[in-house]
Amino acid sequence: MTGAIGIGAGVIGTAVTNRNPILRWSYFTEQTESIVEALVQHLQLTLSAVGIGLIISGALAAIAMKYQWTVGPITGTTAFLYTIPSVAFFGVLVPYTGNSAITAIIPLVCFTLLILVTNILDGFRAVPVAVKDAADGMGLGTSRRVLTVELPIAMPYIINGLRIATVTTVGLVTVAAIIGYGGLGRLILDGLRRAFWTPLTIGAGLSILLALLLDLMFYWLGNAVTPWTRRKRT
Amino acid sequence: MSAATVLAPLAQAAVPRDTGVFEFLLDGQRWTGSPGILGDLLDTVLLCAAVIALSIVLAVPLAAYLAHERKAQLASAWVVNIGRAIPTFAIAGLLVPVSLRGGYGFEPWPIFIALTLLTVPPMFLSTYVAVKQVSPGAVDAARAVGYTERDVLTKVELPLAMTVIFTGIRVASVQVVATEPIRAFLGGDGLGRYVRDGLGQRNQNLVIAGAILIALLAGGTGLLFTAIERLVKPVGVRRLGRPKRAGRLQSADPLGLAGEGTEGTAGSADRDPVVAAADRR
Amino acid sequence: MDTDALPALRLRAVRKRFPGSEADAVQALDLDVPRGSIVSLIGPSGCGKTTTLRMINRLIEPTGGRIELEGTDVSDVPATELRRGIGYVIQQVGLFPHRTIGANIGTVPRALGWAKARIAERTEELSDLVGLERVMLDRYPDELSGGQQQRVGVARALAADPPVLLMDEPFGAVDPIVRTRLQSELLDLQERVKKTIVLVTHDLDEAIRLSDRIALLNVGGVIEQYASPDELLRAPANDFVAEFVGDDRSMRRLTLATVGDLPFERGPVVDVAANDLEAQKIMAAHRSDWVGLTEGETFLGWIDGHELGSGRTLNELPRFMPAAQVTPAQSLRAALEVIMTSRTSVAVINDAGRFRGVVTLEQIRAGLAGDLAEQAA
Repeated sequence: MTGAIGIGAGVIGTAVTNRNPILRWSYFTEQTESIVEALVQHLQLTLSAVGIGLIISGALAAIAMKYQWTVGPITGTTAFLYTIPSVAFFGVLVPYTGNSAITAIIPLVCFTLLILVTNILDGFRAVPVAVKDAADGMGLGTSRRVLTVELPIAMPYIINGLRIATVTTVGLVTVAAIIGYGGLGRLILDGLRRAFWTPLTIGAGLSILLALLLDLMFYWLGNAVTPWTRRKRT
Repeated sequence: MSAATVLAPLAQAAVPRDTGVFEFLLDGQRWTGSPGILGDLLDTVLLCAAVIALSIVLAVPLAAYLAHERKAQLASAWVVNIGRAIPTFAIAGLLVPVSLRGGYGFEPWPIFIALTLLTVPPMFLSTYVAVKQVSPGAVDAARAVGYTERDVLTKVELPLAMTVIFTGIRVASVQVVATEPIRAFLGGDGLGRYVRDGLGQRNQNLVIAGAILIALLAGGTGLLFTAIERLVKPVGVRRLGRPKRAGRLQSADPLGLAGEGTEGTAGSADRDPVVAAADRR
Repeated sequence: MDTDALPALRLRAVRKRFPGSEADAVQALDLDVPRGSIVSLIGPSGCGKTTTLRMINRLIEPTGGRIELEGTDVSDVPATELRRGIGYVIQQVGLFPHRTIGANIGTVPRALGWAKARIAERTEELSDLVGLERVMLDRYPDELSGGQQQRVGVARALAADPPVLLMDEPFGAVDPIVRTRLQSELLDLQERVKKTIVLVTHDLDEAIRLSDRIALLNVGGVIEQYASPDELLRAPANDFVAEFVGDDRSMRRLTLATVGDLPFERGPVVDVAANDLEAQKIMAAHRSDWVGLTEGETFLGWIDGHELGSGRTLNELPRFMPAAQVTPAQSLRAALEVIMTSRTSVAVINDAGRFRGVVTLEQIRAGLAGDLAEQAA
């Protein structure tokens, strides 16, 4: 991390010129390594944040379902975490966890919790009472009922939560560039600092593409695991 | 445009590193000076207010109309989905060179447009859902006594949907305020500058002070909108208690983040195909 | 010990008080359900009929008393094991929306660890049994109509061939036409499978139609009368029962007996070869203005008595066809409907094209006075 964060620290010239076009295609071949590195870091940060978030949310949702009185405190806390401004959250952790991946991951994870907890709870609430009653009445037993009946029915909601959490996190990772762990966001910030538009365009363009791709991927995944929702009686 | 003009708003808030967080925040000079906290606050508030106002104008009437006509359900769902997928910082970054080429400078246009793109989809969505879920009985009754379609929308659907619409506006507005600080990293200032400068100068206290300011403004925005919500809530609705669906959106799902699952999910007969989801950055 | 004499289900002093409640939802309920019979629990809401049903498979644990299934106290068996051995059908069906119809039907066999081939075989067997096309097995519940879903619900409950079936308002969620059809199907099914069925319903007609015995419950799970449908209608045990079965209990009894249960009566009918005199004689004997013509076992139509004596043969006179007709399997209530709307005030019994006699209002009234159910038995 460099000392100066201000824009234009090493200005080439801010105007869009032939020397500094919005996108110079040769940059892809010259800087393949750093672009791939940024992309990989972006994916790593996104997936680990959502992965950790899912584990924590799963546990929180389980607690909320088991003990009804915890629903309020859990949604309240996760809602509070969700509204912490990202710049403030990343910044405020630096003194404690330094410029490390941890500093980036903690806020990213916290931002996923509300989305995931809400959707997991919605998913399990969507299981019709009659279906649970029938499962009990047939002697499926609690764990079998939860795993083979309730979870599959809740799955579209959970996957949709993952979808929202993931694309949101892709966007937030770019902001983590301000503490040096931004994946593609570093290309954006770097480009802004040097007023060098090619890396900015590549970083921004790829992060948008990544978000849209992951969005589509989860859409397909959601359809793939819920074949029963596609065919309806007409 | 010379480099100097571009760099002008970048004057850093140089603060001695041993200044304590509260020492900084409670120093009147810091507030009224130039650059000063009050000035930055005003910068941020004005930008956010403009974004919120424009977003309401763009999103609410259109969504209300389309929901009343039951039109563009699928298109709305997709627009909202894609809107959610676009990273605000990336969009703003992309717009910077475009803005420079057009001679509009580093800011505020890129951040303004990016924030508006962030805000319109959730406002559109909450309005759409709110109007659509108004009791069909009330709408039928209104038509039965001879209301025109316009009257049905403005005198029945909108008042009944107002609570939910305002919740959507509040949530989206808090998001705008919480996201605006990235402006400081896009060549602008505003309240985000203290975090930026603190990071740049490795001044932890300045970072924390900046973070506190941002968080307070975001929290304050939420409170302000909650107060407005209370004021505009129609008396009848207040007395009746919250409508069922609205209640769900407000309590179990305070930010309207619940997903729609896949369209037509099991047991989701009452669910809207439009994704109930707020955006972030 | 003669196991056949033992009731399949025996409830003794079964009691349930829900936590936080002042009164018992069910207080000291005794009930024997004979093997292979259909017993309905019916009564006003709050009478504890569903609670009682759910105590049998321990979805609700009784506060006191004893429930025996084939002589075994159900509380001695682990709940999941017990439930796998008892079929359970509910109003909202509760099919698993994420599983195909076939997989839904195979739920309990799978839980019991049956081999795949055996489950597949059983699934097809059951779909035939409940009248579900086999192509449906690969579909999802949402693709089926309400009636089809309910058939699947019954098939699923029967999957592991449990001796006892509990049904909680099984046909409450379908429209009346489908409900009637499903009721007939259940009766047909019962002919073949001979299960012990406990059925909760709030529909008296359904209980009358389906049950061998009806337990009419009052608030607090008090059995006011436990009797056959006909007895319940003919001889209500007390005012509560009388009020519950209503003023139209005679009409309801008409749904219990069929045309075939009535004594055979040929009616004012002559062969097409007969002469005017014979026709007039038989009309007089029946005090009828009409005379029916038959040829062998075929009913040809009615002739207006005023047309007689015109010199034409019976065969040449104008006939009124189609005549009002009923089949021996139709209920007396249906026959009544036919008679009331027919011009001749009489319905011809048509058994697959063969003339079997006639039904009149007078016959039905006479039938009601007697013990129809015993004639039916």
